[in-house]
Amino acid sequence: MSTTPPNEKSHGIELPQPTAGPMICAFGLTLMAAGIVTNWIVAVAGFATFVAGAINWFRNANPDSLEMLATPAEEKPTPIVPRPGSVDHLVGDATHRARLPMEIHRYRDGMIGGAIGGVVMAIFAVVWGLISHGSLWYAVNLLAGTLLSGVTDMSMEELRAFHAEGLVVGIIIQLVMSIAVGLLYGVILPIIPRGTLLFAAVIVPLIWSGLTWATISVINPALGAHIEWLAFIASQVAFGITTGWWIIRCGKISTMQNWHYLDRFGFETQGKGGGS
Amino acid sequence: MTTAPAALAPPEALPQNGIVNGKIGIACMIISEIAFFGTLISAYVFYIGRDINGPYPQEVLDVSIAPLKVLFNSIFLLISSVWIWLAIRSMRKGRMGAFIFWWALTVLCGAEFLVGTGFEWYDMIVNDGVWMGTNLFGSGFYTLVGFHAFHVTMGLFVLTLILILTLLGHVTPKNVEKVDLVSWYWHFVDGIWVVVFFVVYVFGNMPIS
Amino acid sequence: MSVLQPPAGPDAAGPVPFLSRLHEWVTTVDHKKIGTMYIVCGIIYLIIAGLEATLMRWQLTWPGMDVLTPEEFNRLFTMHGTTMVFFVGMPILLGSANILIPLMIGARDLAFPRLNAFSFWLFFFGSLLLYFSYFGGQGLYGMGSAPDVGWFAYAPLTERTFSRGHSTDYWILGIFVAGIGSTATAANFIATILGMRCRGMTLMKMPLLVWIMLVDSVIILLALPPLAAAQILLLFDRLLGAHFFDAQAGGSALLWQNLFWFFGHPEVYILILPGFAFVTEIIPVFSRKVIFGYPLMVAATVAIGFISLGVWAHHMFVVGLSPMLNTIFMGSTMLVGVPTGIKMFNWVATMIGGRIRFDTPMLYATGFLCQFLLGGLTGIFLATVPFDWQVSDSYFVVGHFHFVLFGGLVFAILAAVFYWFPKVTGRMMNETLGKWQFWLLVIGFNITFGAMHVSGFLGMPRRVYTYHTDRGWDFWNLLTSLGVIVQILGFALFALNLVHSLFKGKKAGDDPWDAWTLEWSTTSPPPPHNFEEDPVVHSRRPLWDLKHPDDPDWKYE
Repeated sequence: MSTTPPNEKSHGIELPQPTAGPMICAFGLTLMAAGIVTNWIVAVAGFATFVAGAINWFRNANPDSLEMLATPAEEKPTPIVPRPGSVDHLVGDATHRARLPMEIHRYRDGMIGGAIGGVVMAIFAVVWGLISHGSLWYAVNLLAGTLLSGVTDMSMEELRAFHAEGLVVGIIIQLVMSIAVGLLYGVILPIIPRGTLLFAAVIVPLIWSGLTWATISVINPALGAHIEWLAFIASQVAFGITTGWWIIRCGKISTMQNWHYLDRFGFETQGKGGGS
Repeated sequence: MTTAPAALAPPEALPQNGIVNGKIGIACMIISEIAFFGTLISAYVFYIGRDINGPYPQEVLDVSIAPLKVLFNSIFLLISSVWIWLAIRSMRKGRMGAFIFWWALTVLCGAEFLVGTGFEWYDMIVNDGVWMGTNLFGSGFYTLVGFHAFHVTMGLFVLTLILILTLLGHVTPKNVEKVDLVSWYWHFVDGIWVVVFFVVYVFGNMPIS
Repeated sequence: MSVLQPPAGPDAAGPVPFLSRLHEWVTTVDHKKIGTMYIVCGIIYLIIAGLEATLMRWQLTWPGMDVLTPEEFNRLFTMHGTTMVFFVGMPILLGSANILIPLMIGARDLAFPRLNAFSFWLFFFGSLLLYFSYFGGQGLYGMGSAPDVGWFAYAPLTERTFSRGHSTDYWILGIFVAGIGSTATAANFIATILGMRCRGMTLMKMPLLVWIMLVDSVIILLALPPLAAAQILLLFDRLLGAHFFDAQAGGSALLWQNLFWFFGHPEVYILILPGFAFVTEIIPVFSRKVIFGYPLMVAATVAIGFISLGVWAHHMFVVGLSPMLNTIFMGSTMLVGVPTGIKMFNWVATMIGGRIRFDTPMLYATGFLCQFLLGGLTGIFLATVPFDWQVSDSYFVVGHFHFVLFGGLVFAILAAVFYWFPKVTGRMMNETLGKWQFWLLVIGFNITFGAMHVSGFLGMPRRVYTYHTDRGWDFWNLLTSLGVIVQILGFALFALNLVHSLFKGKKAGDDPWDAWTLEWSTTSPPPPHNFEEDPVVHSRRPLWDLKHPDDPDWKYE
């Protein structure tokens, strides 16, 4: 600390004197409260105690009479040693105040990647339905069961059949979920320190499958009844690989953290510097 | 900070002294009191018109200007805010005689309010037979008005204490900022009475349609 | 009265006699000693309330046990809740703030040191008054008894008709007395923070702990007086025969719920905000990075303060408010999740890329993040009206708020204890014991309160004294109770660690964690006047500026 013009009086640091007043006051007040539930004499005693404490307090608090001078402590604080050059920078030429990540993916890339991954996953699921149950519409109908309650009661035969509303609802669910998850991928991937593609292709699909496993019977009973987990996980991995690959392929842009605030607001200005 | 460049001039100090803290402290106390009274007032408002047996406020409360009735008392209490303001003004100018006069007048007006409230309560309890347990109106009225009267009593106690200390010569114009804080409290007590009066004697006293 | 005694200090010949040491403590107006007394009392009550909880869990371990009578059980859950909220949470947070605020803003003491002592003693005697009810609850004539109306004391259970004797009165008076103290302390903190900051410390250069305590004090100031008022109404009902909560005379039990929760929900934020404050100070130091988004943290804190005053009716979804009111309070409750989420992300963003040191304080802070996140998420569940209707007053709710207050607050408090213990006592706490305790607590805590969520889903209502064996709750209750044993082991290690470190701990030095706020620039423990010279700061991390003059913070603020 730099030495400051001391604003204490010349004789040292003044501290308030210890006093029992506050404690006596508090005890009196508590006795007064206790008097309500015991005996009025307790309350009277409490009041007397309170007054005694208040007088003590008042006299102690009188600014002219009592202040205690602090005795200089024997132990002095260890001086703080400057350690120049000991600051590690987070990123290359950036400062230690940089906000990580310095570079992020475009939201747009995340959403497009999600959509592409969703299409790949849908193709995978439909092909699987064709192979194992001989129907293009089997997987679509099961997915639509998330919103269409009728699917729960369908027989195997009906599940294999074509349902227009099943197709529409299925496509909507697949697109919305894929784009949302793709967006999340785009936001999260730059934060992952290493093994980004592994994270995107394997770990997230496994987490997602676990979440589905725990909640499927509530969210989509039809799918829960007919689901084949290996195929399900494989389709999730297909999504993960495609989306992750797309997002990583699209590259990153740097955040606006080093921009001038005018640039961040999108003003066209001269000579303010600014980012990419 | 030996290596601090010249550009780093020592920053401005805050105006540190006890009186700023005192002002903030009293302001905080008043805020918490407002929260306290706010609760009592909301309870009172909540119960207006919910009584299932009388006497109802319309039958009991007397809002005429007659001496020692509530409107009369209220005028005394509210005008005491002016007196205490004048007292502080006199003290700021160092005129202790005037300070004592206005301060004593404040105490008297506050005392009148308390006496008047006492008479009003006596009248209601003895003649109208309304007490805490009579009905919701009784519960709410005595709680709300009673707590306000309690705060007036506390204020009066402090005001009287300062009056005595002044007469004994312990209070001098250099204490004016501290004495001013007491006046803040007194203004608060007056201000909250305006709300209580409106809620109890006007809003809660509307003729039953 | 002009001759002053020098304070009795270690320089006096020989060991200081016990009585004069006691006298020194009870007459002290030093914020550090008062804060320490708050925390010691809080820890003692933590043990008491923890034992109360243990008794309850013993009773509920298996269907049809009779360790306790139903009456004893009712008293235990009332005292457990009341103690934990008012006599554990409040004193520990007020005590920590007492110690830290003046040190962090470079002041010599609080604005009103004597008022501060008064507040502490009000809390102390108030808590004794509540516990005296075990002896005096029925009057001094027969067997005493403690209050048995639950910590939120719903009317009409608290009316004279249903609660005989004086036990409920003790509940009212004990909390009322302690509440006066807390309110005064809040005013004290506000005056200190606004009026006594050292040279150069503008509001936006205050440590975040101080900011959060400022907001916390404002909430205390606005939320505790309504509780006092409501308690007075109840007291008048019980002693003077008023009819506020007496439905037979037109009174309304619902009003009590409104008034109580108008206090009760802000109280939850009063408790958890200091938890946020501790974590906000600890995470940057152990991540070796500056806190992410300081202005946003301030804004989020203020936002939480505001919103917390407008969410109380989410405790009352099942009483049948109008759908409109339910929707409004559901919305406002979910809104609190936004600033809380901002804080969560800021903490995580502070850790990302940092050179994290997992010393015990950081371990607890990280534990806080995980546990509190879970509790916060179940809070969002409960904010949803239909979901709340399903699980209201079940063990799911019990599990939720223990995740927030135990997993959140207690973990944050433990982080703070491990972090600031060296500053307050001059000695380090034992790291090995601390880590053992951490893992025991994490395991025991999650077993106990995780299982509670399940038994709640299975329909087990809270506050039941026992249950039948055919409900499918047996296993989950057994699990809950077994977890308690693990937790007790953890807390025993903590007690051992505290006592051992106090006498035998490694000397800490001034700045054991290589931290950046002002309290680490003075000695450990700090002298009565805190700082030899008035500190001057140029940035939010004054000690960073001193340690790294080649790359100081003030260039970036």
